Amino acid sequence: MTTAFTTVRPTAKRQAVAGRTTVRLAALLLVVATIAVACGNSDIPEPLDGVAADIYGGDCVALDGREVTIYSGRSENLMDPVLSAFQCETGIEAKVRYDSATNLALTLAEEGDRTEADVFLSNSPGPIGFLEQRGLLGELDADVLALVAIQNRSDEGSWVGFSGRKRVAVYNVDSVSADELPESVFELTDAKWRDRVAIPGTNGSFLDWFTVFRAQEGDDVATQWLNDMVANGAKYYPNNRSIVDAAGRGEIDLGLVNHYYNFQEAAAIGEDHRALNHDLSGDDIGSLLIITAATLVETTPHPAEAHELIRYLLSEPVQRYYTEETFEYPLAAGVQSAEILPPLNASGTATIDFDSLGGGLEVTLDIVEASGIANQ
Amino acid sequence: MTAATAPSSLVGGRNRAPRRTRAPWVLRAVGVVLAAAFAFPGIYVVWRNISTDADPIGLLRSSRTLDPLGRTMQLAVLVSLASAAIGTTLAWLTTRTDVPLRRLWRTVLPIPLVFPTFIGAAAFIRTLNPGGLANDVLNNLGIDRTFELRGLFGAWLVLTLFTYPYVYLPVVARLQRLAGSLEESARVLGDSPGQTFRRIVLPQISSAILAGTLLVFLYTISDFGAVQLMRYDTLTRAINTNYLARPSVAFALSLLLLLLAIAVVVGERAVVGRIPGDATARSTRLVEYRLGAWRWPAGIVVLAVALLAVGAPLIAMLDWAIDGVTRASRDGRPLTVDADTIVEAARHTLESSVLAALASVAAVLPIALLVGRYRSRSGSFSHAIVIGSFALPGILIALALRFWTLRSGFAGDLFYDSKALLIFAYVVRFGSLAMGITLVAVQSVPDRFHDVGATLGAGRLRRFRTIDLPLMAPGLLAAVGLVLLSTMKELPISLLIAPIGYQTLATRIFLSFEESFVAEAGLMAVVLVAMSGVLSWFLVLRRAEHR
Repeated sequence: MTTAFTTVRPTAKRQAVAGRTTVRLAALLLVVATIAVACGNSDIPEPLDGVAADIYGGDCVALDGREVTIYSGRSENLMDPVLSAFQCETGIEAKVRYDSATNLALTLAEEGDRTEADVFLSNSPGPIGFLEQRGLLGELDADVLALVAIQNRSDEGSWVGFSGRKRVAVYNVDSVSADELPESVFELTDAKWRDRVAIPGTNGSFLDWFTVFRAQEGDDVATQWLNDMVANGAKYYPNNRSIVDAAGRGEIDLGLVNHYYNFQEAAAIGEDHRALNHDLSGDDIGSLLIITAATLVETTPHPAEAHELIRYLLSEPVQRYYTEETFEYPLAAGVQSAEILPPLNASGTATIDFDSLGGGLEVTLDIVEASGIANQ
Repeated sequence: MTAATAPSSLVGGRNRAPRRTRAPWVLRAVGVVLAAAFAFPGIYVVWRNISTDADPIGLLRSSRTLDPLGRTMQLAVLVSLASAAIGTTLAWLTTRTDVPLRRLWRTVLPIPLVFPTFIGAAAFIRTLNPGGLANDVLNNLGIDRTFELRGLFGAWLVLTLFTYPYVYLPVVARLQRLAGSLEESARVLGDSPGQTFRRIVLPQISSAILAGTLLVFLYTISDFGAVQLMRYDTLTRAINTNYLARPSVAFALSLLLLLLAIAVVVGERAVVGRIPGDATARSTRLVEYRLGAWRWPAGIVVLAVALLAVGAPLIAMLDWAIDGVTRASRDGRPLTVDADTIVEAARHTLESSVLAALASVAAVLPIALLVGRYRSRSGSFSHAIVIGSFALPGILIALALRFWTLRSGFAGDLFYDSKALLIFAYVVRFGSLAMGITLVAVQSVPDRFHDVGATLGAGRLRRFRTIDLPLMAPGLLAAVGLVLLSTMKELPISLLIAPIGYQTLATRIFLSFEESFVAEAGLMAVVLVAMSGVLSWFLVLRRAEHR
């Protein structure tokens, strides 16, 4: 069969390849430079449009030289309209570095008192506990703290919640019938849920939730539950989003996640997405409200601007934006949660003492790693 | 004499008794400075192990470390083997045969480098897993199939498809520089094409294959995005979950990862040292094989890899993007990105990746010269540092840079939040990618050419410009391509070290995707892939036409 091959001689000679390489690289640089110039920044202030205009519809004031630097663990998609409106309305320039809350917390710890950040926003409590333990958070003014209910702020004044995400069970509508939906996470250790449930075992918000679980039910009960889940064939997924995606495709039947992701996924994909959120019973640990919070960086040289920003996050238009546009629970200014969100009952907004989360996470991780969930 | 020993005696050069010409002092000094620059993340990890009282040795006694470590090793070995085989096969087919559409393939095949693994793996899942797009198609055809990509197999498949270009690109570059005369002689003397490949071609491209495979190995042990979505529990998962709760454990595990990488790099050098010399005269003729009856089957193999590696993720990304673009007609929420945002991000991506690619090749060239030309010991040391650092997760390079710049006073203030610092961080992260190919390129210049040049009175710089550069050009260009495509998808450094507000496509894709803005993420991912296609064409196809 190898006789099918024949050797032929090539035709052209290659010459002066290096010369042409240099020319090509130069051309590439030229293209970059041209684009850079063509797309160069223009400093002409533009009126707000789109969602940002819903938050603030007035005329923009000129930037007055004041600024506030934000490390945001909440993504640009969620924050940009708010910060545009803030900048337009107050004249304070909002500079933002976006990344996961964990990475930003690690960065803040590394930067210490030389950080450029004034405000740190986290979408889950763990990173805040981490920074609080290291004494890197400043104290918020009492009038800002007073804008939210007592359970949604720190006793020491180091953080204030500005939106909430509720724990729910997301399920595939084709593989789970309405009458078999559970009331409690404790039902999921039952044989009828064998190999059907997904847990984001090592994800930040799951670890935070499990820490509260331990605090409320005791380490023995919490550990037993997790071990039973593993024994019952619970599947490990790395995060909420991947579980919601898998439930939408029917790869899993049900998963324990934040309510937020299924709304986003449904908004993005439409009818093809075959998953719905299910509210566990209001007093069950599985329907805990997890808070996204704002904090002041201890060394901030701009405390006034930082407070103004945090106050803005808790204002009526922004709170309304968070529930109407991003499907989260509002925490301030008397704003009611959007109609499509399942109602929060009284105990739903249970106190999360995440002042102690930083230290608690270590034990949580011990239990989670020992359970073997990450290898399921 | 057998054909297997023919190359050394015919092309001479490297495997005569090693020459130990001393490198010019300027070059040695530059090498030391560069090594120090590349060493800083490693020093940071060591320092953090000391400052947090970490106990890496103690962790090695725990099954919680050993089990993920074992899985990391298993995965890395399997991915390396598969990538080496696929990368080499594709390189040979697209440079040396008349496989159909080979110019198209030469542009398409490097593209998987540009998929950020977190969205690439998610796109594979979206296309291939239960309820996914492929499943829909099969269902419509009446086939009920519930294949699930996950675990070791899933991680292996996805990472192999993402990493084979690390082998493919350097081997293509090397194949374009082989002297055709040897292959022709072998054929005339009666060797079959298979024998010719084994005896003549393989020995000469083996250092390129090894250099690429080493990168695959290091990439695999440092990957987090793909393994976590495939739910395969490796050491990087353990590192990531420990950052907040037990930083000392995270740093200790990172140190283990680094030590593993250095051991593998040193091992590779030892193996390469025993490979027969591969310095060859400049090729004036490239041997090309007619595949005859095998032309179409070979074409199907290439097509299958391209469909799986580029097509499968791209289909899901397009699906997300189209859903998003048509959403307005379904009364859905408007997109949170507009054309301006995407263009701005694309410009930042292009600008930073081109600069990083050029700077990376410039930075590793002196080290490659020290190692390849002068066989300098300090050069070998620098080389190991440069390549080993590729195994460090990018977040550690970002944190290390934060740590050092904030403690270095004046210089730190000067560069804090600057683009220069960003490019520097990229070079440290991806210089390793350029290192291996650049070294192979340097070694492909026969010593006797220099002797001749020197005899004729040409100075060092002139010799470098007129002898080395032309001969090394394909290798250097491949190195530029590797770094370019890899920088375009880079995340942790782009997020943490870039000047505030400087967003790239990759960072915007990541931020959108993690909060389930999948339409926005898909749209920008498609733009990223399209851009990489153009750049790949520019770097690869254009030069093919010049032949």
